[in-house]
Amino acid sequence: MARMKFLCDADRCIECNACVTACKNEHEVPWGINRRRVVTLSDGKPGERSVSMACMHCTDAPCQAVCPVNAFYTTADGVVLHSKDICIGCGYCFYACPFGAPQYPRVGNFGTRGKMDKCTFCAGGPEKDNTMAEYEKYGANRLAEGKLPLCAEMCSTKSLLAGDGEIIAQIYKERVLKRGYGSGAWGWKTAYRETITS
Amino acid sequence: MLIRRTEHPAGRGTLAALASQSDHGVDRRTFLRRAGLAAGSLAALEALPLASVRRAQAGPPPAPGAAVAVRKSICTHCAVGCTVTAEVANGVWIGQEPSWNSPINRGSHCAKGASVRELVSGERRLKYPLKLVNGQWTRITWDQAIGEIGDKLLAIREQSGPDSVYWLGSAKFTNEGAYMFRKFGAFWGTNNTDHQARICHSTTVTGVANTWGYGAMTNSFNDIRNSKTQIIMGGNPAEAHPVSLQHLLEGAELNNANVIVIDPRMTRTAAHATEYVRLRPGTDIPVLYGMMWHILQNGWEDKEFIAQRVYGFEDVRKEIEKWTPEEVERVSGVPGEQLKRVAQMFATQKPATLIWCMGQTQHTVGTANVRTSCIALLLTGNVGKPGTGANIFRGHDNVQGATDVGLDIVTLPFYYGLAEGAWKHWGRVWEVDYDYLQSRFDSKKIMETPGIPLTRWFDAVLLPKDHLEQKDNVRAMFVQGHASNSITRIPESLKGLRKLDLLVVADPHPTTWASLAVEAGRNDNTYLLPACTQFEASGSRVASNRSMQWGEQIVKPIFESKNDLEIMYLLATKLGFADKMFKNIHVENNNPLPEDVLREMNRGSWSTGYCGQSPERIKLHMANQKDFDLVTMRAEEGPAKGDYYGLPWPCWGSPEVRHPGTPLLYNTNLHVMAGGGTFRARFGVERNGVNLLAEGSYSLGSEIKDGYPEFTMAVLKKLGWDGDLTPQELAIIEKVAGGPDKIAAVSWSTDLSGGIQRVAMKHGCVPYGNAKARMNAFGLPDPIPTHREPIYTARVDLVAKYPTLPDAKQFRLPNIGFTVQKTAVDKGIAKEFPLILSSGRLVEYEGGGEETRSNKWLAELQQDMFIEINPADAMERGIKDGAWVWVTGAENSAKAKVKALVTERVGKGVAWMPFHFGGWFAGKDLRPKYPQGADPIVLGESANTITTYGYDPATGMQEPKVTLCQIRAA
Amino acid sequence: MTASVVRLCIVVAMAALLALAPSPRPAAAQQPASVDPTANAVHEEQLLQQFKTIRGLGSIPDTKSYTLEQPAGRDWRYFHEVTLRWIGAVAILGMLAVLVVFYLSRGMVRIESRRSGRTIVRFNATERFMHWMTAACFVVLALSGLNITFGRPLLLPLMSPEAFTAWSEWAKYAHNYLSFPFTLGVILIFFMWVAGNIPNRVDVEWFRRGGGMIGHDHPPAYRFNGGQKAIYWIVVLGGAAIAVSGYVLIFPFYGTDIQTMQTAEMVHGVVAVLFIAAMLAHIYIGTIGMEGAFEAMGQGTVDLNWAKEHHSLWLEEERARTGLGRSQRQPNAAPGE
Repeated sequence: MARMKFLCDADRCIECNACVTACKNEHEVPWGINRRRVVTLSDGKPGERSVSMACMHCTDAPCQAVCPVNAFYTTADGVVLHSKDICIGCGYCFYACPFGAPQYPRVGNFGTRGKMDKCTFCAGGPEKDNTMAEYEKYGANRLAEGKLPLCAEMCSTKSLLAGDGEIIAQIYKERVLKRGYGSGAWGWKTAYRETITS
Repeated sequence: MLIRRTEHPAGRGTLAALASQSDHGVDRRTFLRRAGLAAGSLAALEALPLASVRRAQAGPPPAPGAAVAVRKSICTHCAVGCTVTAEVANGVWIGQEPSWNSPINRGSHCAKGASVRELVSGERRLKYPLKLVNGQWTRITWDQAIGEIGDKLLAIREQSGPDSVYWLGSAKFTNEGAYMFRKFGAFWGTNNTDHQARICHSTTVTGVANTWGYGAMTNSFNDIRNSKTQIIMGGNPAEAHPVSLQHLLEGAELNNANVIVIDPRMTRTAAHATEYVRLRPGTDIPVLYGMMWHILQNGWEDKEFIAQRVYGFEDVRKEIEKWTPEEVERVSGVPGEQLKRVAQMFATQKPATLIWCMGQTQHTVGTANVRTSCIALLLTGNVGKPGTGANIFRGHDNVQGATDVGLDIVTLPFYYGLAEGAWKHWGRVWEVDYDYLQSRFDSKKIMETPGIPLTRWFDAVLLPKDHLEQKDNVRAMFVQGHASNSITRIPESLKGLRKLDLLVVADPHPTTWASLAVEAGRNDNTYLLPACTQFEASGSRVASNRSMQWGEQIVKPIFESKNDLEIMYLLATKLGFADKMFKNIHVENNNPLPEDVLREMNRGSWSTGYCGQSPERIKLHMANQKDFDLVTMRAEEGPAKGDYYGLPWPCWGSPEVRHPGTPLLYNTNLHVMAGGGTFRARFGVERNGVNLLAEGSYSLGSEIKDGYPEFTMAVLKKLGWDGDLTPQELAIIEKVAGGPDKIAAVSWSTDLSGGIQRVAMKHGCVPYGNAKARMNAFGLPDPIPTHREPIYTARVDLVAKYPTLPDAKQFRLPNIGFTVQKTAVDKGIAKEFPLILSSGRLVEYEGGGEETRSNKWLAELQQDMFIEINPADAMERGIKDGAWVWVTGAENSAKAKVKALVTERVGKGVAWMPFHFGGWFAGKDLRPKYPQGADPIVLGESANTITTYGYDPATGMQEPKVTLCQIRAA
Repeated sequence: MTASVVRLCIVVAMAALLALAPSPRPAAAQQPASVDPTANAVHEEQLLQQFKTIRGLGSIPDTKSYTLEQPAGRDWRYFHEVTLRWIGAVAILGMLAVLVVFYLSRGMVRIESRRSGRTIVRFNATERFMHWMTAACFVVLALSGLNITFGRPLLLPLMSPEAFTAWSEWAKYAHNYLSFPFTLGVILIFFMWVAGNIPNRVDVEWFRRGGGMIGHDHPPAYRFNGGQKAIYWIVVLGGAAIAVSGYVLIFPFYGTDIQTMQTAEMVHGVVAVLFIAAMLAHIYIGTIGMEGAFEAMGQGTVDLNWAKEHHSLWLEEERARTGLGRSQRQPNAAPGE
C-alpha cells in the first residue's frame, strides 16, 4: 500500500495561496479555520522562502498519541484522520502537533473549543464515503474517488506535492539534482523521521 | 460508524475497507498504481503523480440521482488564461476540478482561480437593480431601470450631445461583450469608450505597436521555458500572474537559466531570482540604457539582426552613449558592475526574454519605458525566436481581447483607427450606412477625434467647458465593469461624482463607485445594475499570449443579474438602435448569441487576424486541450492537429484557410502558414531616403527574398499574383472598393473576402508586409525614448536636466504635467513629502478588488490595508510594525489610514501600497454607504487616494507607480 | 513581530551578510550589491539547529499559524504519554502503597486517653463549608483530570468509545467550570487559616519527633501542627500553581504561545498528580488514619482528649481565652475574619 505524504518544495512555492483557497473551496471550510496555510520565512529579505503547511500525516502521529479519547486513526495509506463524534475539543493535539495543524471553531470560551478540524488529505472521515454526513463533518473524500488532495493538484508551480511518499520523494530528489539547489523537504524529518538527500 | 473504526487496529486499513464498501468505490490499487506510473513517465521534473482516474464528483455530494455535468470556462482574474473546470449538478456549481489538459495551467490555479466558485454563490453580490432615492438605495425592476436610464441619457444627449455620456467598459467582458460595447459607443455617436487597458497596458500597446507592428506579448508563457535568461523588469508575476511562474520556474530549472528581477521592491518574484537589482522607482529608461551602454561598449549587440531588421539604431546609439555607468548610478542607484553583469547575461546568454508589467507601463514615461525595453531586445536580437521576446504580462482575463476588439478611445475594433476609411470598413462589416454612423456624432471631426481617456473622466466633468475639445462636459458616466478606486486622484474624482448628472454602474458588485458616490453627496440619479460574471455567460476571451479560449456558461445568472450582452441589448433597444446594431446577430429572449458576435468579428478583423478564429475552431481546441504540446503549444494529434492552442492571433485568412495561429510574433524561421512572421510594414516604405523595409530577412518559404510593403490589390497586380484570386473573392473586393476601377486601394486589412491574405500566404508572404522594427519611432512624443523625472520626484536636483514634456492638449484635454512638476519643485513638496510612494498587486485580490474582497475564501487571507515601509524610515518616525499610520499625499491634502508593514522589501525612502482596497476614505469607513448586503467583506483605504497628477502624453496613462507621500504614526 | 521572529530575521540576515561578505562587488547605498536569493535561501535544517521552532510571517490574523514547525511537540507528546504517566503512577500508587503499609503496621491512631465525652469547637460552619466546597471540587477535578491522562488506557477499554467520549466531555465541562469554586476556595482557605499556619519553632520539634506517628509520642502543637501546615501550604501553593496553569489552558493563546501552553500543561499535570498524592495522605489521616480527626471537619467539634493529645498548645490557648471546661463559644477567630 502506498504511504501518502505531502512535500512542499519551498524553492518553487511563491505564496500564491492557491492551496489555501482550493482547500476552502473543496471542503467549504468556514472563515477562521485554516486547514492549510502558507508561512513566509525571512519575509522581504534575500533568501525569502515560503512553505505551504497543513497536517503532514505523521508517522507515529503525536496527535493520535496524546488524544485522551483516542479520536484519531491512521489509514492504510498512512493518512491520519479523526472522528468528530469522538473528539472532545480538549486541544491537546494542537500542543503535540509539530505543524500547528489542528484547528478549533472557537478559540476561548473556557476551553470549549468545539470539535477539532484539520486537513484530511482529502480523505474524509469515518463515515461512509462521499455521503453528505461525511462531507458536512470532514469535507470531500477525493481519495475514495481516486483523486489526490486538491491543494496539491491545483498548486500553481507544482511546488506542493501529494501522493505516494516514495514517488514524491523521487520527484523532489530529481528536481534538486537537476537544478542544483534545494532548501529541504520541509517537515519531513519531524513528520516522517526521514530526509531527502540527493 | 465508530464500531467500524475500532474494528480495525489503528494504522491499518480503514480507508481501503471503506472504499470497497462505498457506492463510488474505485479500485484503489489500480489508482495508486496508475498514479505511480504517471509520475514515472513524466520524467518526474514536470509534474505530480496526478490522479488519472477521474470521477465527476467532488465538493458537496450532489443529491442522489442528480446528473453531474462538467463545464469548462476560463478564470476571470488574470490574463494567464487558466481553464476552470466546473462540476454542476441541478444547476448548482458544486465543485472545481483541476484542468489537467490545459497547456496553459495544467491543473494549476492561484488563490483566485482556486476560489472562483465562490463568485457564483455570491452572498455579497448585487442582487437586483437599485437606485438612489433621497440618498437611500432602493430596489427597482429592470424595466424601470432601463426606462429611466434611457430617458435620462436621451435628455443629456439632446442638451449636450453624445460625447457628454462616457461609456466605460471592461476588460472583464468577453470579446463579444467588449466588441459590442465599442459598437454601442459607435451607434450612440461617441469615441468616449474606454476600459482598463488604459490604466494597465495602454502604453505597451502604443509603444510596442509603434516599434514593430502589434502591441502585444510576442511569445507565450509556455515559450519562456526556452529562455536562458529571463529579465523581469517592473513586474511581480509571482503575485500578479502566479500560474505563469510554473513555466518561468520550471524553465529556469531545466535550463539553469538566469532569472533577473529589476524592481524597486524585493518582490516574491525576486525571492526566486538568481539576481535582484533594486532601482529607484521611475528610472527604467536609465537602467535599460545603462545596460545597453555596456552592450555597445563590449560589442555584444546582434549586428546582423540590427542591419537586417532594425531602423534608427544610430539615432538611439547617441542617446545610449549619454548613459555612462556613473550617470546611471547617479540617477537610478544601480551600480555599474551589477548592470554590466546583467547586460552580459542578457546579450550573450541567449535566448533572453524581457518580461514586464505595470511597473514599466504606469508612468508618465510609460510609452518610452516599453519602447526602451523593445530597443534592448532589438539590440540583442532577442525578438522573433523561441525563448526571446517582449513577454508583456497583461492584467485582466480579457484585457488583451478587449483592447484588440477596440474598446478604446483612439480606434475602432482591431486597430483600424478612426479615420473615414476605418468607419467605412466597419460600416460594411456591420452592414450599416456610413452616413447613418456619421449622423450619430456631433460632427465628422469629432467622429475622427480620439476620445477622453478614462483616467481623466472627472477632469472632463470638472474642467471649464472651453478647456475641452468637445461640445460639452461629460455629464453621465455609464460604467459597466470598471472600478473607480483603480483610477488615481480619488479626492478629485469625488468632486466629479458629485457633479455628474447621471451615474450608472452595471457590475456584479456595487464597487467603489457606489460607496464613493454616496460619500460625495449624491442623492439621486444613480443606478446600480447587477451584471453577472463570465461564469454565468458564454463567450471567448483572449489570454495574454493571444490565445483565444471559449468559456461555457457554467450556471445561469444568479439572482436578477443579467449578462453584459443582454444589458447592452436592452439599453440599445431603449435608445432606439438595437435593430441596426444587432442586425446580423441572433437574439433570443433579449440574449444576443455570442457565437454570432464572434462571427461578425471574424468578418471584420483582418488587420489583427481574428478572422480565422471561428467559434467552431475555438471550441474544438477547448474540447481537445490534451492534444497541445506544453512548450510549443502545437497540437500534435487529434482534430486540431497542426494548430497552436487557441489560435493565437494573428490567425490569418478566413477560418477555412485553417491558419494555425501565430505562437511567436515576427518569427522568420517559420513559414507564414505555420505561424511565421516578420516585422509589420506599418509606417511606410522609406523615410528621409532610408529604407524602412527589411533587408535580406524574410520568413521561411517567402517568394520575396527581401522586405516588402503591406499587400494591396495594387501590390498583387504588380507581382502578378492577382490571378490567384477566385472570382468570388474578386467580386467581394470590387464591392468593397465600390467599383472594379477602384480596387487598387483595397488592402489585406479591408478585403472582406480574405482573398488578398490567402494569395499572399500562398506565396509565403505575410499579408502586412516585411519591414524593419523602429528603434526611432517617429510620430511619438519622444521618438527616441528619453528619461524624464516623475511629476512628483524625490530627486528635484534632476528635474532641470530631465524635465517632463511641456504642457499640451491631448485627448480633448489639457495635460499640465510640466506646470505641476515645476510647481512641486518650486514649492519644495519633496521636503514635506519625502517618501516615494509606489503601488502594486497582491495575489489574493485583483484590480479595484471589490469582487475579490467579497469572496470569503480570499478576503480571509488579507484583512487589512497596509503600507510597506523600510525599517529605517519607520524608526525615524517611531512607527511600529502592525500599527496604524496616516499616509498623506502631495495633492488635495489627501490622507489615508492604513496599517504599517515594516519590511526590508522596500528600500529606504520608498513606501509601497497594494491598490486593491476601497471602501474607506480619509480614515472613514464607508460600509454604511453600500447597499445593504452587498458590501465587500474587507474594506480599506485606496492607494489612489494618495496618488497624484501625471499622464503619459501618448496614451493618457496615469502615474500610480511614483508619487510622494509622508507617513506618521496614527 | 514577536521576539522570536525578530531573532530569526536577524540571524537569517546575518547569514545572508556572511554569505555575501567575500564578494568583491561594490555596495552602493541602499543597494544590496549582488543578491542571489536562490543561493541564499533559508534552509530548514539550519533553522532548526538555530532555533527550537521555525517561525515566519503570514497574513491571516491567527498569529500562531505563523509558526511553521515546532518539533518540540514531539517532546511534549513524550512527556504527556510517558513522563507524566510515570510521575502520576509513582506518586499516586506510591502514596497509596505507603498508606496501606502504614495502616497495616500502625493501624488507626487512637485517642490514647479515651474519649472524655466533652467536646470543643474546632472548625465553625464557615470554615467547614469552605473546606468541603474546595474538597468536593477537588475530588471532581482530580477524577476528571486523571481521566484525561489515564482514562484512555484504563477506562476506554471498559466502555464504548461513544460512552467514553460522552463521559469525558462531561468531565471536561465539570473540570472547566468547577475550577472557579475550587480556586475561590483555595483563596479563602489561604486567608482564613494563614495566621495559624505560619511555621514556627514548635513545628521543628513536631517534625523532629515525627509528628508522634511513631510510637505513642504526642509532640505539642498549636491549632495546626506541622503536618497540617504542610498540607495547608501544599493546598495554597499547589492550588495557586494549578489554578494559574489551568487558566492558561482554559484561555488558550490569550497572550500565550505554543511553548507557554505546553509548559502550562506540563506544570498543571505534574502539580496535579503530586497534589492528588498529597491529598490522599490528607484524606487518610483525616479518616481511617486517626480516631477523632474526621469529627473536626465533620461536626466541627473534637473531643477534649483528642485536642489534648494532638493540639495541646491550642487547647491551652482556648482554655485561657474562654475559661475552663466545655466551650460553647467560638474558638479563636480565624485570622481571615
